[in-house]
Amino acid sequence: MIELQRLTKVYRGGQLALNDVSAKLTKKVTAVIGRNGAGKTTLMRILSTQLLPTSGTATINGFDILRDKGKIRKFLVSVPQEGRPIGMLTPFEHLRIYLTARGMSFSDATEAARKALKELELWEFRDRPADMLSGGMKRKLFVAMAIAAGADYVFLDEPTTGLDPLSRIEVWAAIKELRADVLLTTHYMEEAVELSEEIVFMDGGKIIAQGELNSLLEGFKGMIRVESSSPVDGWMRVGNIYFTYASADEAEAYLKKGFSIKQITLEDLFIRHGVMEIEP
Amino acid sequence: MNLRFILSMGWYYGFYSIIRGPSYVIASLSMPMTMLFLVYMLSRGSLISYAIIGGFISMMSTNALSSAGDAAFFRLELKVQDLFVVSSISSTDYMLGIMLSYLVFSIPGIAVYAALSYIYKVLTPLSALALIAVILIMLVSTSSISFILAGMLTHIRNVWGIVSILSIVLSIIPPIFYPYTYLPKYIVYVLALSPATPAAVIMQGLAGLQPLQPIMAVILVAETVAYFMLARKFIRWTEV
Repeated sequence: MIELQRLTKVYRGGQLALNDVSAKLTKKVTAVIGRNGAGKTTLMRILSTQLLPTSGTATINGFDILRDKGKIRKFLVSVPQEGRPIGMLTPFEHLRIYLTARGMSFSDATEAARKALKELELWEFRDRPADMLSGGMKRKLFVAMAIAAGADYVFLDEPTTGLDPLSRIEVWAAIKELRADVLLTTHYMEEAVELSEEIVFMDGGKIIAQGELNSLLEGFKGMIRVESSSPVDGWMRVGNIYFTYASADEAEAYLKKGFSIKQITLEDLFIRHGVMEIEP
Repeated sequence: MNLRFILSMGWYYGFYSIIRGPSYVIASLSMPMTMLFLVYMLSRGSLISYAIIGGFISMMSTNALSSAGDAAFFRLELKVQDLFVVSSISSTDYMLGIMLSYLVFSIPGIAVYAALSYIYKVLTPLSALALIAVILIMLVSTSSISFILAGMLTHIRNVWGIVSILSIVLSIIPPIFYPYTYLPKYIVYVLALSPATPAAVIMQGLAGLQPLQPIMAVILVAETVAYFMLARKFIRWTEV
């Protein structure tokens, strides 16, 4: 379990990145979702013991991120946002270096590396320098490191940002192979839905909602989103799309009038919490 | 200390950099070899001993300084440092791993200069042993300067330019390729801020080219400890 206790982070320039955040994260896979600048990466780096908070603290499995850094670093793997492998080294070499850094013997590291690369279907690329791997394979390599390390917790900061759709699906499949508890950040709604049991919404350095998908969408039960590409009086607007919410019973009537009908998604939760910029 | 990590990093990153990027090995040798050529030509061969000893020191110093580029690149671009922070190793292990990789990477250059030393009979067995010790100490001190620099950078943009400037300031201007006695004494002490200076003065003394200055051994060790301690602070292992 991860427990955040009034975590605040103010960077040197005065930028408030985390604002008195408290929460308990108890599920096997939790996704932290939010726009760029919401505070996701700051939260992740603080929990990973890479960055000190300005005030407050957090515990992971009862270990304090300030007092027990050394212990936490042994059972946690943290894959940084936009992390990339060293171009000159192969996947096998990356894993062997990384696993020795985690305290494994040379033979254990070799064995664990072999298993993880086979598990993620990277074995045939094991001797190819990383700068010759595709973007998806590079990310999968980091997931392979996490699998091979056998850590209790794995933190993944935006693991699929910048990947093409096929590579994203490959990385998702790799993440699902993890046996550890996972905390991941993303700004893709579908990624949060696909991978996590619990979703934490962040904006402006605060947690604005937290829960399982169904409970988060409880307020939208029996509703649909009706969209139009041309202006409609009284409807909200995001970009070029005009929309409103209506009862699902009215769907057919709206369709006959030529409007589009959409299922309620996490985006609607963003809208409800005022995270998206909406023009009334 | 995690010796396995240090050895893994040293071997894989050092050895495979030679195999997969031989142009970098040649590039690292180009400046000392050019200096050797110039010193040989301009002195009509009389300063060849200085050029060979200086080449050893300059090559090691230049290679150690270029680790600033990797350290900054690993932290700011690849985020590899973040990955290693959350593991069993300390900042000391991490720095020693990178230093060892640069030592391994320097082996071809060391072999070239060892061959030249043998041909020109520059070193005795004892002074050769001393040179190995001096080079190892200098690797730690100069790499530490690199880590300090890498930790101070907030963007990768300028790192290679700064490394080039530092290479000249710390590896060419000091009395590496010429007798240290050509300089006023106080200038030698100012230049001793670069580990290459005490290293060169010690080696010129041990090779019998100039008077021995034991104080330079003290300076080299003291600044190695100081630079290393500063590097541990500046490397941003845990950011504030």
